Amino acid sequence: MKVEGSRQLAAPREVVYRCLMDPLSLAQALPGCEKLDPQPDGSYQATLKIGIASVKGTYQGRVQILDALPPESFRMKIEGKGAGGFLKGEGTISLTAQNGGTLISYSGEVQIGGMIASVGQRMMQAAAQQMVQQFFDAFSRQLPAVQPDAVKSGGLPPST
Amino acid sequence: MIPESFEYHSPQSLEEALRLVTEFGEEGKMMAGGHSLLPMMKLRLASPRHVIDLGRLNELRYIRESDGWIEIGALTTHFQIESSSLLREKCPLLPETAREIGDAQVRNLGTLGGSLAHADPAADWPAAILALDAEIKANSAGGERWIVAQDFFVGLMTTALAPGEILTAVRLPPLPRRAGDAYLKLRQPASGFAVVGVGVRLGLNEAGHMERVAIGVTGVGLKAYRGAAVERELLGKPPTARRLAEATARAADGVQTNSDLFASAEYRKHLASVYVRRALELALERANA
Repeated sequence: MKVEGSRQLAAPREVVYRCLMDPLSLAQALPGCEKLDPQPDGSYQATLKIGIASVKGTYQGRVQILDALPPESFRMKIEGKGAGGFLKGEGTISLTAQNGGTLISYSGEVQIGGMIASVGQRMMQAAAQQMVQQFFDAFSRQLPAVQPDAVKSGGLPPST
Repeated sequence: MIPESFEYHSPQSLEEALRLVTEFGEEGKMMAGGHSLLPMMKLRLASPRHVIDLGRLNELRYIRESDGWIEIGALTTHFQIESSSLLREKCPLLPETAREIGDAQVRNLGTLGGSLAHADPAADWPAAILALDAEIKANSAGGERWIVAQDFFVGLMTTALAPGEILTAVRLPPLPRRAGDAYLKLRQPASGFAVVGVGVRLGLNEAGHMERVAIGVTGVGLKAYRGAAVERELLGKPPTARRLAEATARAADGVQTNSDLFASAEYRKHLASVYVRRALELALERANA
C-alpha cells in the first residue's frame, strides 16, 4: 500500500528537521505512542497503542532513520507487530523551504499483514491517512510558533 | 472465532445504561444490534472488558411525528424503518436507504443508532442523514443535546459523541414544498457496503428552480460528507442537464478519496460524480411528478 502526501508547516526547515529528530517531540506527536526509546545504533524501540473504534491493539516495533541529509531529507524504515497483525514500511521524507515555512512531503510503501489486513482491507488506506493526519496535527502544535499572528493570538488579550 | 472473555451487562433503562457507560469508561463498549462489534470480537481484534448491551431499552425503539418533525429512536432497526408507513409517506428517503443495507439478517437486527455511532466510512445511513439535515440526540449523565448531522461525523469511525454519551434518537425537519429525494448506491458485491452511496433531498420553487438542495455522500472519503461544492452551483438555478453535469463534476472536491483492492481513489472520485448526478436526476423527477 502506498502512503504519500504533503503538508505545509509554519516553521523554518531547520526547526522542522530538528523536531523530527527529537525523540521527545516525536513521541508526543505519534498517535498512541507509549514508549519511544533511542537505541545505541540510532534506531528507536517503540510501543504504540493504536485503535480505531473498537479495534484497538498494542504494537511493538523499531523505527530507523537512514540516509539523513539535514535539513533536506531522510529515509525512514519501520517494522512492528501486535496481536492483530504486522506492519513493515519504508519511505522518504523531504523538506522544502516554502513561503517562510516548510513543505514536508512523504512517500512510502507500507505492508500490513495478518488478521487486521485480511478483514480490514477496505479501510487500511483510510486508517493510514487518518493516522498521518493526526501525526501532523499533533506535530505542528509542537513546533515553536514563529508567525507574528500566532504569537499575538497565543498571548495575553490586547489591552484596550 | 471465540472472543476473549468479557463481562456482559444488560441495562433495563437508559438511566442504568448511562451509569454503566460512565462507570466503565474506556473498558466498556456499547452494543446495539452487534453486527459490527461482535465479528471484531470473535476475531479478537476488539476485546472490550465490558459489553453494555442496549438491546433491552425498548424505550429507544419508536418512530413518531410531532410538530412536523419526525423522531426515530436509536434502537429502531433498519427493517422497522424500511417498513414504516409513516416514513414511506413523509420521508421516503429513509426506507429507500434502509432497503440497501447489508442483507435481511443485518436489517432485522442492525439499528439506526448503532450504525451512526459506529460511523463506518462506507455505511449507508450517514449519506441519508446528511441529505435530510437531521439532528442526532446524545444523552449523558449531565443531560441531553442535539448535534446537527454536519457536525456529527468527525473522521474515520469517529463521531462528535463524547465519552459517557449515548446516541438515543434522530430527528428530521419537515419536508420542503415540492420536494424530491433519492438514495442511490453502488454496492460492493461481497460486503454489501457502499463503494459510493449518495442521498439527495431537494425542494423546488414555482419556477422549478432548486430552492433547497442537500447532498450526502458516503463511501468516498474518510467520513461521509455534504457535497457542498455541487450544492452551491445548483442553488437557485434552473436544473438543466448541462448545469447538472458541470456541477456534479465537483462531487469529490476537496475530499481525500479512499482506495482499496476493489476501487481506486480515481475510480471512486468518478463514481461520486456519476452517482450524485443520477441521484439528483431521480430526485428532480420525483419532485416534478
